[in-house]
Parts: sequence; structure tokens; C-alpha cells
Amino acid sequence: MAKIVVDGTEVDVPAEYTLLQACEAAGVEIPRFCFHERLSIAGNCRMCLVEVKGGPPKPTASCAMAVKDLRPGPNGEPPVVLTKSPMVKKAREGVMEFLLINHPLDCPICDQGGECDLQDQAMAYGVDTSRFAENKRAVEDKYIGPLVRTSMNRCIHCTRCVRFTTEVAGASDLGAIGRGEDMEITTYLEHAMRSEMQGNVADLCPVGALTHKPYAFHARPWELNKTESIDVMDAVGSNIRIDTRGREVMRILPRTNDAVNEEWISDKTRYVWDGLKTQRLDRPYVRKGGRLVPATWPEAFDAVAAKVKATPAKRIGAIVGDLASVEEAFALKQLLTKLGSASIDCRQDGAALDPSLGRASYLFNAGIAGIEEADAILLVGTDPRHEASVLNARIRKRWRATGGKLKIALVGAQADLTYPYEYLGAGPETLADLAGSGTFADVLKGAEKPLVIVGQGALARADGAAVLSLAARLALSVGAVKDGWNGFGVLHTAASRVGALDVGCVPGEGGLDAAALAAPGGADVVFLLGADEIDVAPGAFVVYLGTHGDRGAHRADVILPGAAYSEKSGLYVNTEGRVQFANRAAFPPGDAREDWAILRALSEVLGQKLPYDQLSALRAALVAAHPHIGRIGAIEAADPAGLTALAQRGGNTDKGGFAPVITDFYLTNPIARASAVMAECSALRLGGVAAVAAE
Amino acid sequence: MELLRYIFAWWHKATPGTLLWTRRYGELVGEDEFGNRYYRTRNGEIDPTLGFERRWVLYSGYAEASTIPPGWYGWMHHRTDVAPPSETYTPRPWQKPHRRNFTGSPQAYRPKGSVFAGRARPRVTGDYKAWTPGE
Repeated sequence: MAKIVVDGTEVDVPAEYTLLQACEAAGVEIPRFCFHERLSIAGNCRMCLVEVKGGPPKPTASCAMAVKDLRPGPNGEPPVVLTKSPMVKKAREGVMEFLLINHPLDCPICDQGGECDLQDQAMAYGVDTSRFAENKRAVEDKYIGPLVRTSMNRCIHCTRCVRFTTEVAGASDLGAIGRGEDMEITTYLEHAMRSEMQGNVADLCPVGALTHKPYAFHARPWELNKTESIDVMDAVGSNIRIDTRGREVMRILPRTNDAVNEEWISDKTRYVWDGLKTQRLDRPYVRKGGRLVPATWPEAFDAVAAKVKATPAKRIGAIVGDLASVEEAFALKQLLTKLGSASIDCRQDGAALDPSLGRASYLFNAGIAGIEEADAILLVGTDPRHEASVLNARIRKRWRATGGKLKIALVGAQADLTYPYEYLGAGPETLADLAGSGTFADVLKGAEKPLVIVGQGALARADGAAVLSLAARLALSVGAVKDGWNGFGVLHTAASRVGALDVGCVPGEGGLDAAALAAPGGADVVFLLGADEIDVAPGAFVVYLGTHGDRGAHRADVILPGAAYSEKSGLYVNTEGRVQFANRAAFPPGDAREDWAILRALSEVLGQKLPYDQLSALRAALVAAHPHIGRIGAIEAADPAGLTALAQRGGNTDKGGFAPVITDFYLTNPIARASAVMAECSALRLGGVAAVAAE
Repeated sequence: MELLRYIFAWWHKATPGTLLWTRRYGELVGEDEFGNRYYRTRNGEIDPTLGFERRWVLYSGYAEASTIPPGWYGWMHHRTDVAPPSETYTPRPWQKPHRRNFTGSPQAYRPKGSVFAGRARPRVTGDYKAWTPGE
């Protein structure tokens, strides 16, 4: 710790703090453009100049000078930093004047207007006239993909975008060419950026040089209602802010949560919002004579009730989809139980997860923030870059923090993960070899906090249970599970999965699982709660409760229109077991209703009334049954004892490598499949030509 | 019915009283392109209640004051004493024929974006595309 005096206040800060951080610790705000907490220090905007005593006798860039770089005074007095002196003000005004020389005055037509760092800081340090009579610099706008719009005249060369793509995203797509006035940010050959986190560069841009293309010219920040919510595109549960105008979602931005997504979100999370406006189910439908015809709610309920009452309870089943909140899964489970059926399943991909072994067997036990403590990582049948982009960025962050020395190995399908890894093999045999001994097993054994991440690619197969058991045995044998550290983690891909497993949405005694329900002759009535990734064989009467006209709706005999994740308040449990609360940002379209309300209304028609009339009552019942769901924002640590039982299960593994779970990152759920922006990204990724941007 | 309307309503055509008054004291000054007939007190006699000559109109159809064209409007309001028939005025080529006020009728002006404008409604916030079976 070192003492430093900031504007007369003495603070004690770690010696490696930069002056900017020390000033923040003293409660003084320093203007900045290029400095960002999560990126490396560039020190090129010069906006954070301060006056120091005990350092060079000129204004100093506070972001690039550390507290330990300053000398104490002759009698050992702590160094002094002045942030409000006339010298500082003059220096900053000079910097601002230089920045504004070449910055166009197009705030009225700039998408950044109203949330622009340069606008804000020009209020404090700008001068009202220009002394610059020469020609202004003009830079051509670059094409850098369908998601980020460029307006390069506005660029102030802070290089935040370059540092983000290089450091966090791990795809060196953006760079700067030229020097001084001729410097330009570009992808060199004007190709689209190839990162799945590229939208973050538009957030990072302190001016309007990089803006969100799908949002371009659609709204102004001050006319938007901001709602804090949780993302459901993957199982990370990224914290997001949904901006709405009236009933319409205008954009989605990340919220900072250091334990989950830091301040990044993936492009699918960010740009999926146009999918919320197309292909929507806005009225109930009933299939009559082979065709779906619009119906009223009572007609649809009567059609369901007639069928359910004519079917023995054993022949009724339900499948919980990937986007459902915990409340709906819980309500559906209760409804099925009341009807007398035990056939409910939330694992529509067939992942061999068994909640009876305890939560430790299906959670990412180390936690997402725990990745930053891991010193050896084994990935089994997973491609975290596409299954959980933000989590992959965390692994990359850890890899960078260790100076590239973090040992990472992969068993499964090879993929570009943005960091180097040792490729061990494709399938369960490799994993079995590791459980004995082997080079990487030794690395894991030697590591203090080894991490074994098992993906759905390893579990969603016939021998998934055996593979999971094998992975648990490996984790136990290398000492990944010990006091204070549980390095066994299952990486989920479905936002609803952990929550639904927590409330027991798996077949009970004599119940059928998802594959059996979908198989020919499996069940006579199947409820799909937004389950679109499974094909129910002909013959069954399918009741689809969902939001989009996707696979499930095409197959359905009765469609009950529900609410998308932005249109309902709900609880979600992410892959590490963290319970998070999502607020409602908009309303469901047309006659659509919130899913829990539909289930409650349907239960009454079916004569098995669920005992709650309000969402709060449903939540109370849910928390009473599963107390840990009530601890919002927290992770309920799982008892690692379950892993021992899991490891002892054993079982025979098949040959054949683990297949990738995600074939197309941009089209993994019904909302994304309805989105034109996601379709364009997908076409681009598959090697299609650059389509015209959706503006 | 027609007779009752003639006796009691004044907005379909002039009432018997007005017609009688016009017959006794009125002097036809002229007629406009819509068939409205304009009268004044005979020989420009000063009306004792007004202090100047009285001018009035018998509408050709429904009593709608906005059917009075600008030339006659000026005369009716005593802005000028020269009635349009004796006026030597040739309209400019850009002058459009007079139209009455169509407010409340199907020909009323509808601003761009009005649902009554008959055009396709422009996209607004909150619109969504609903799914229809068979898509």
C-alpha cells in the first residue's frame, strides 16, 4: 500500500494502482476516452491529464502512471496529485480542442448522441469556437460486418475497439493503419469481423464511430425505458438491460456483473431483439381437419381439456423447452403431477443429467468467476466459444492473466477457441485413458485448482451417463474436488436447464423422458413448453405453449401463445447455479399471455386447479418447495458428495467422438431463428456474400 | 316532410320569412359559380338597425357559409362595395377554384399517416409480424 494525496485528501491505495484508480479511490472523477478497466492501458487520448508533485513537471496521463512511479517529497511526504488545478484544466481543454478539430459536429444525426462520452466531456472542457482554419480530415467508412456500423470521421483513435478484439474477443480483426492524422481503424480488407462478441466494440466506443447497425436511427437513448433483465440465449445468464420504447424492444445492452458476464454479452444476446417482433404467436390456434385455425382462449382450452380427459394419465407428458423460466417449469411440473403423470422432462437434447445425484452433478461448480482461479482446464465435449461466449472470454482472460501458461486441453470436436489448447482426442476412450494416467492427467494432478468442464456434446448421447460418470471419476482422481474448490463443472447450453432440473423436471417413477415422449407411440398428449428442438412423432396430440412459429408450432395441435423472455418477469438459474431475476420489459403481443398464467388457466379447465392466482403466490410456492430459488443473485453451493456417487455409477461408453452441440451459433433457438439479423450473421459465417445490412 | 322542413328548418333552403323579406326589400346583386344568390337592400337603402345597407345570401343548397367565394366574401363583409359582377378582375393562372370547407365529410383533409387516409399505415413502434400457419 502506498499513500498519496489527491486534491488534498490522503488515500492509501495499492502501490500498483494507476493514478487514475487512486483518484477514483479518493472519489475524484477523471475524464477519459481510451482508458477502460477491462482493457490494457493505451494512454493515447491524453484526456486524463493531472498535475503531479513528485513526478515529471508537466501534466501526466493518470491512466498510464502508477502510484509507485511517484517519488515522495524531500521529508518523506506522500506524492501529491492535483486534478482541479488551472494547469490541469488548461491541459484538458487543449486536449479536447485537438480532439474536436477533426470531430464532425453531427451530434443531431449521430446514434451516440445523448450517451456520448465526447459530448459529455465537451460540456466540461470544450471551447465554444474553433481556431482551426485548415482542411479537416476525412476518413472513409469501413464495412466491418452486419452488426457494427462505422462512421469513421468521428473516430478519436482511442483504440478501445482494437484492444477489445485483440484481448477479450481473441480475434485480431480490427487494427489501425497509418500514423498521426492518417491513422485509421479498419479490418484491413474490409471483411466482416469474425468474433461472436463484436457488438461490444460499439458499446466501448466513446464516440459515435462504431454504432449498432440494427439499431441505427431507430431511437434516442432518452426516449427508452430501461429494464434490467437476464439473457436466455445461453446458460450463462448474462445480465442485460432491455431498452424499450412503448411496447417495442429497441435494443439490448449488457449490465455489469463481475461474477457472470463482467460487462460483455455475445452478439446473439445483443442483436436477437428483432426476432422478438417477427413470427410471433399472437392468438391461440386449434388444428381442425388438419389445418391450424385461429381460436379463442376458451376454444383452445376446451380442445385441450377434451383430449386430456379422454386420455389415461400415464399417456400424458410434458417437455420443458430451453427458454422457460423456473416458475413455468415448476407450474407445469405441478400440473402434470396433479393430472397423475410423471412424464416430464427438461432435457430435450437427451443430456444424461440426473438431479437425484445432487446439484453438484449438473452445476458448473467452480462458478464462472472461479475460472479466474483455475490453473489447468480440461474441456470435455464442449465448444465454450459458441456454447457460452462470455464464459469463453473468461477462460481467455485467465489464459492471458497467466501469461499464456494456463494449460488447457480439449477432448471432443476441435474448434477455434481463441486460445491455444492441447488436443487430446475425440471421444470417451481419450477420457478413459486420462482417468488412468497420461500427460494431461498429470498436469491436472499437479494443478492446485484444476477445472474439468463437461459440455452437452459429451452428455447428449446414448452413453452420456457413462461419460458424465467417467468425467466425475477423472475430476475426483486428479483432486479437482477438495475443500474450497470444486473443479467439476457441467456447461449447459439451455437457459432453463439448471432451473428446471432444480425443480425436478425429470421423469419420476414410471415416467417417460423426452426422447420416449417424442418417439412414435410414446405418449398421446404432449405439452411442449417452448420446446422447439425436438420432433414429436406423428400420432401424439401436441399442445405447444410458446412464442414463435417455429418447429413446435408447426407440429402442434393446439397452440397457446405465450410470452418471450422480455415480456415476462421470471427467475432463471444459470449454469453455475446462480438464481437471477428478470424483469418484464414489454408486453406479449396480441392475445398472448404470460406462460404461468396460461398454465394456471388451463389447469382450471382441466379440473386440476393450481393453487395460485398471482405470480407472487406461485413464487412463494416455488420458494417453499425449493428454498434456494429464493436466494436471488446467490449461488447455493452444491454438496460435492454427490460426485462420488456419480463417479461410482460407471457404465459402458461407446466409441465415436463427441459431436459439437451447436452447429449454427446464430440460430439456436426460436427467437434467434426469427431474427433477420441473426440470419444474416449466419449466412455470413457459412461463407455467404455480405448481404445488405438490415437497417 | 319537405313542407315541414321548409317551414321550420333554415339550413336546407331559405325560410318563408327570408323569402318574403327578400321579395319585399331585396335587390339581386349577382350570383356566384355555385348558384348562391346575393342580395342587398333595394337601392342601397340604409338599414335602420345596422346604420348601413344590409347584404345577404340565399344559398343554392345546404346553408354552408364556406361556399361563398373570396370575391363575394369581401362584398358580404362590407370590405368592398364593388360586387364581383362589376369588378374587373381576371384570376391569376395559379389561382385554384374555390372549394368549400370539407371538414366532417369524406373529402376532408387527412394528414399523412391518418388511418382514414386510405394509404398503407406506416410502421410504428410496437408493431410485430404475427405468425400464420403454413408460413
